[in-house]
Amino acid sequence: MTQATPNDATQPTVVQASNVSKVVSTSEGELRILAGIDLEINAGESLALVGASGSGKTTLLGILAGLDEPTSGVVRLGPYELTALDEEQRAKARGELVGFVFQTFQLLESLTALENVMLPSELRGSRDAREQAVELLARVGLEHRHGHYPRQLSGGEQQRVAVARAFAAQPKVLFADEPTGNLDTATGSKIVDLIFSLNQEFATTLVLVTHDERLAARCDRSVTIAFGEISQ
Amino acid sequence: MNWRLSRMLAWRDWRSGELGLLMLALVVAVASVTAISLFVDRLQQAMLNESADFLAADRYVGSSRELPPSFRDLAQARNVQAVDTLLFPSMVFAGEELNQLVSVKAVSPGYPLRGRLRVATQPFGVGVVTQALPELGEVWLDSRLFPALGVALGDTIEVGLAKLTISNVITSEPDRGGGMFDWGPRLLMRMADVPATEVVQPGSRLTYRLLLRGDDDDLEALKEDFDLQPGQSWVGIKESSPSIGSALARAERFLLLGGLLAVLLAGLAVVLAAARYARRHYDHVAVLKTLGTGPNAILASYVGVLLLVAAVAIAVGLIVGFGLHWLILLALQELMPIELPPPGVRPLVLGSITGLICTMAFALPAFIHLRNVSPMNVIRRDLGATPPSRYLSYSMAAAGVIALLLWYTQDVLLTLWALGGTSLTLVIFGALGLLLLRGTRVLGTQAGSLWRFALASLQRRHRENLVQMLVIGLAIMLILILVLLRTALLSEWQQQIPEGAPNHFVMNLQPEQVPELQAQLDAAQLPFDEAFAMVRGRVVEVNGLSAKEHRAAQGEQDRPGANIGSERNLTWTATLPQGNSLVSGQWWAEASAASEVSLEEEYAREAGVSLGDELRFDIGGRQLTARVTSLRRLDWESMRPNFFIIFSPGALESFPVTYMTSFHLPVDQKRFLNGLLTSFPTVTVIEVDALIARIQSIISRVTQAVELVLYLVLVAGCLVLVASIQASRDARMHEHALLRALGGTRALVAGTLAIEFAALGMLAGTIGAIGAEVTVALLQTQAFDLPARAHPWVWLLGPLLGAVLIAGVGMISTRSLISTPPMLVLRGLS
Ligand SMILES: Nc1ncnc2c1ncn2[C@@H]1O[C@H](COP(=O)(O)OP(=O)(O)O)[C@@H](O)[C@H]1O
Ligand SMILES: [Mg+2]
Repeated sequence: MTQATPNDATQPTVVQASNVSKVVSTSEGELRILAGIDLEINAGESLALVGASGSGKTTLLGILAGLDEPTSGVVRLGPYELTALDEEQRAKARGELVGFVFQTFQLLESLTALENVMLPSELRGSRDAREQAVELLARVGLEHRHGHYPRQLSGGEQQRVAVARAFAAQPKVLFADEPTGNLDTATGSKIVDLIFSLNQEFATTLVLVTHDERLAARCDRSVTIAFGEISQ
Repeated sequence: MNWRLSRMLAWRDWRSGELGLLMLALVVAVASVTAISLFVDRLQQAMLNESADFLAADRYVGSSRELPPSFRDLAQARNVQAVDTLLFPSMVFAGEELNQLVSVKAVSPGYPLRGRLRVATQPFGVGVVTQALPELGEVWLDSRLFPALGVALGDTIEVGLAKLTISNVITSEPDRGGGMFDWGPRLLMRMADVPATEVVQPGSRLTYRLLLRGDDDDLEALKEDFDLQPGQSWVGIKESSPSIGSALARAERFLLLGGLLAVLLAGLAVVLAAARYARRHYDHVAVLKTLGTGPNAILASYVGVLLLVAAVAIAVGLIVGFGLHWLILLALQELMPIELPPPGVRPLVLGSITGLICTMAFALPAFIHLRNVSPMNVIRRDLGATPPSRYLSYSMAAAGVIALLLWYTQDVLLTLWALGGTSLTLVIFGALGLLLLRGTRVLGTQAGSLWRFALASLQRRHRENLVQMLVIGLAIMLILILVLLRTALLSEWQQQIPEGAPNHFVMNLQPEQVPELQAQLDAAQLPFDEAFAMVRGRVVEVNGLSAKEHRAAQGEQDRPGANIGSERNLTWTATLPQGNSLVSGQWWAEASAASEVSLEEEYAREAGVSLGDELRFDIGGRQLTARVTSLRRLDWESMRPNFFIIFSPGALESFPVTYMTSFHLPVDQKRFLNGLLTSFPTVTVIEVDALIARIQSIISRVTQAVELVLYLVLVAGCLVLVASIQASRDARMHEHALLRALGGTRALVAGTLAIEFAALGMLAGTIGAIGAEVTVALLQTQAFDLPARAHPWVWLLGPLLGAVLIAGVGMISTRSLISTPPMLVLRGLS
């Protein structure tokens, strides 16, 4: 089945991974990063992926969000079976369902704050991209920084722009990979507050990678990864 | 194609300056091709026009017999202008005892078809251009004839039976000296007056010419129409002045090669700029992909960006190229007072296509590459793109280079040479470069901290540095190649007409006059050549076949083999003359009594005559048979008397003979001719000093063009340097920010950079020097027919040029890197 057809729209599970493993070949031979991961995430749920550095959290997040392919196993995202799609179709699925917040912000250097936030809607060809972006920037408290470039913003401000951009796509699932990892505690918690409140507002499913126990505690559910496996 | 996204990306990248270098490189490629070809196009036309002045026409048909009137009709049918001229020597009389042998040129209205006539208001006055011709019943005379004949303007002289009035002083006409037998002081008259003189009798020495002017295609077609008979020759600039012909051909090749090098260098800059742009966009693309943009949309929009950039660059390049060529024309205005014909569209088409090829072959692969960037790049930076597309880049770049080379040189062999040479160079120098880089590390461990850091940093990024070194080395190599070729061409052109080369020929000398003349030349301290015996004759039979049958047997009517039956100067010598070299056969023994003949190689080939053939000659009605026993090669550019046909001594002894010799007469001793002509009234003097001056002026113009090309190539080369330094800038930036964050002073960073760049440049320069020396040796022997020689100064200049250029350009383009606060650098502000 290679077509991006919805299989059951009423299913409450938005993200589903069954027996997912990831093996990469390195110069020192094969490296098993993930092994036999089974995971279901329900719509509207907020889930924390926790674990030590190097345990495989980011790899799993990438696979769940359709950024990367598992070596084996099946991944479903909303109505799509991601593992049956090619990159072209996965991109379409991402554009439709997914938002991201990254540890390293990942704003486009050549675009202003406003243009960064406008980007997802623009890519979809939406007409009111600008109004929506203005609104979202106001929502994250950056209404006066429209024309500023990423390099003219502090880390916290950049991450707020990134959060605004993530919600601009009106995603079903928001994936956040250590969104506070590059920020100080105070700024970090402000960002987290922002993510959670927007999450409520837009009724988004949240998948949050963190090694911060307190942050994980704010989520509905917490899954621990160790050595590439889920340890309960 | 997602134009909206493309436009958005293009506009935003442009605004942030990311596309600047790519755009600039494309503009330089387009502009240099456009400027060079516009300039060459116009210069070529101008030079051809000027060369046509030597003939006073584009082509002419010459014969010693009257040309059929049908020729004029045929010319008219082809829309080709045609004018008759007739040249003959004649004695003119002024009063009872004064007379003088003159060279009469009779012309019909319309003469000259190219170039201008000049007249002076009094003998030995300054000539001014005139559109007029002598009226019927009038003649114009050379200054020298006025004292010789004791006449003044308005006087009457007798030419044969006709009495004609002297109405003007002629100082020059375009086709004077254009042929070897247009001698002596000139008398210009009208064709219509010739019958009245009754000097034109069977047996007189006559040269009929039908001058022609028209389009090249029409002229070539007309040549077919004429179906020339033996004794009728078709003459263009190449036939009449081989030295100008070959100078033009070489200049053309050089200019095109130069243009090609400029484009290739700019292409190299395009590759680097595109690669850098793409690399900087990996994150960009990854983010777009996480936002749901698929690979095809990415491809489409980035190709769109590229096409937009290409379109703008081509437009700007054409405008810049056009402006540049105007600037050059303005700058050369004083040196080139010729009116240039308007430019055609061809150069603009050439520029546009070059821009497209550069875009497709050099920039597109890097852009296609972007399609494969993994969205995981957002999280993990080191993923890059998949390697297979590298093969794509290399093969597309190679295809582009081959296409450009083939298109510009129109020469498969030259293309293969250039390609093979470049590949071999790259492989050898890759290895050599690696070795050199290793060497610097060994050196570095012995050095102070500044040097150690610089050299270690060279060694640390040795892969990128190797590539950069090869790229810069290639650029330096191309620049050096051009400098070397230019020097070789110029010095060869200068040698072509050495100081003191004979510029006057004396003909019609009686055997007993030869020692007298030589004594006079000796007395005036004028250097002169040996004297050659001369007999006029033509080939009538080859191996028993008549000239016509022989030509038919050759089968190829369009070959210049047609010249077999035309009248030639025959001579004899015991020894091989100076400037001649034996190609095949054997030179005759001193005592040989047999009738042997030696032919010029090219003449023999065109005539379809080979070693051992028996030729029958007609000399003034008497016949003579001789066997071809050797073939010679001549130095046509030597400006010395040259003979196609040389007999063994004795063979021509019984025929009436005259002698010719040549000597060099400086401009300020021109009056010497008066005395000479007074003591030897029957000889004829051919003055080629004007011709030589003309050749020199053409050469100096070609030199200007050559110089221009060199500058353009230099600009393109510098662009490569900037592009390649820009390419490594991102990596260096982080390193040096770190260095400064760790407490390194600005001076330390600057010093490190300077040393690193200079060392890189020196290594690249060494590579470039070796490459240039080898390539030039090959090019000179293969493409330009010049002897190869070594240039030790290049070995010094190459590394020095490399060090200075790279350090200079490098320091300028990384200036901001040094002065930016390290924190901003770490945060990614560039
Ligand atoms: N493409 C890859 N090639 C080699 N090793 C990888 C690759 N991706 C991830 N790894 C390794 O797999 C392990 C898990 O990485 P990651 O998922 O980033 O862990 P986490 O996010 O939990 O810190 C690490 O040891 C990392 O070095
Ligand atoms: Mg991680």
